[in-house]
Amino acid sequence: MNTPVISLSHINFGPSKSLILDDISLELEAGHFMGIVGPNGAGKSTILSIVTGRLQPNSGHIDLFGECLKRFNRYRLLKKIGYLHQLHDYAPNLPLKVRDIVAMGLHDYAKPLWQRFGSTSHQHADIVQALQHVEMDHLIDHDFRQLSGGQQQRVRLARALVRKPKLLLLDEPAAALDSKQQQKLYTLLRQLCDTQGVAIMMVEHDIAAITGHVDSVACLNRSIHHHAMKGEQIPEDVWHQMYGQHMHVIAHDTSCIGCHHD
Amino acid sequence: MIDFLQQFFASPVMQDALPPALFIAIVASSMSVMILAHRLSFLTVGISHASLAGLGLAIAFSLPLLPTATAFCVGIALLLAALPKQRGISEDTGTGLLFAGSMALGIVLISQVSRNQVDLFGLLFGNILTVSTQEWHWLLFIGCIILLAFITMARAWWSIAFDAITAAASGLPVSLLRLLLYATVGLSVVMCVKLAGIVLTTGLMVLPATCAWLWGRSLIALWLLSMSFAIIGTFIGLLFSYNYDWPSGATIVLTLCIMFIMSWGTAWLTQRNT
Repeated sequence: MNTPVISLSHINFGPSKSLILDDISLELEAGHFMGIVGPNGAGKSTILSIVTGRLQPNSGHIDLFGECLKRFNRYRLLKKIGYLHQLHDYAPNLPLKVRDIVAMGLHDYAKPLWQRFGSTSHQHADIVQALQHVEMDHLIDHDFRQLSGGQQQRVRLARALVRKPKLLLLDEPAAALDSKQQQKLYTLLRQLCDTQGVAIMMVEHDIAAITGHVDSVACLNRSIHHHAMKGEQIPEDVWHQMYGQHMHVIAHDTSCIGCHHD
Repeated sequence: MIDFLQQFFASPVMQDALPPALFIAIVASSMSVMILAHRLSFLTVGISHASLAGLGLAIAFSLPLLPTATAFCVGIALLLAALPKQRGISEDTGTGLLFAGSMALGIVLISQVSRNQVDLFGLLFGNILTVSTQEWHWLLFIGCIILLAFITMARAWWSIAFDAITAAASGLPVSLLRLLLYATVGLSVVMCVKLAGIVLTTGLMVLPATCAWLWGRSLIALWLLSMSFAIIGTFIGLLFSYNYDWPSGATIVLTLCIMFIMSWGTAWLTQRNT
């Protein structure tokens, strides 16, 4: 069996009286597209932060690409990861072109100024390709501040893709996108998994929108209540454990009118 | 006009003052880009005022002026970088606190020394016209350190300013880089205090990049524009200062202000027409 891209075992995080994450164990293999759903404050984003090493768990073990995540190998391991965080606390007023922002995602962007960067044809091709993925290549020389929220989100996604990551960690990537762009995004992500073997861990609110695309769904609220593989129904009591009694579970299948299945 | 320029360049005071003033302008305008990107204008106000305590300590214990002030400013900058996160004080509160505290300490210390020993007006409003050789060497030394730090870390600082979370998640040592940024800002403030004085330092640290912000669209462009604005502003400022016998620091800051207004007006007009 291949080594999993992510392997979390018995992760605890948060103050001991009110843990944010309680005994999380999960594995993600290359080419696998995992959705994480759960209510607000369930610790969804926290899991992503722990995988990138930005937060240290109280206890537990993190393996990335078969290596234990440590301080000294963090930089090397993170090179293979593309990360898109949530939008809050995010209002930079820097005069930047779209191409410069995507270039920030390239490895070794933070080189000293005397080393030319971002202008070699090889780097330029990577930037254009990443922008083509999100259909933003026609705006490559535009000022980032003048783009709409959805366009900015797509540029930020291109910045995560330009690294050619083996693992993508996405925190509500569809938040600012309209439904057409959302479906395009999920199709693109599915394609990256299938053709390039990228593993994806995606946090998303809207489970209905993603079920047609992901390989599995993890239901998270402090601990993982259920891990459903594709095609498997999530039992109703799991929903009630996560969101309380006041919710109705609506089943989706291929004949569901509200869902688009290509 | 040409006579006047010849006279200006021939005057011994300006021959001594011009190289340090232009050098300080280059260093300050480089860091200015990062100060705007990271929104550290108030930090420069805080550190420059805190330098009064450093100068006060140097005078009270008869230590060398500039090195003591340098050490003190870098210390304060690092303290401000480290303090807020630990104790839950927001950064502007911390800056305000240290700003008032060290200013008060500086005033008390300096008041103990006899009046003619201290050039208080020079400390507050700058005096580039009296740079000793020793001071000039010291300015060169820390200026080169700042420029080296800027050139090495500018891109990393830039990407942190744009998005610190993603920068951290891509493996950059964000906290360390931020500490180094604050320390470098502290160093630059000391240099500016020599030229523009405690009160006017912020003008020198903020205005060049503010002018450049209206025109530049990339890091390199902003940096070059910011330097050009600062060099031109300093030069014109010194010309006026020489001709009308105005205080040099204030004239330079005033020139930069006028350049900003003109630059802003031009940008407004061109944007309206397109």
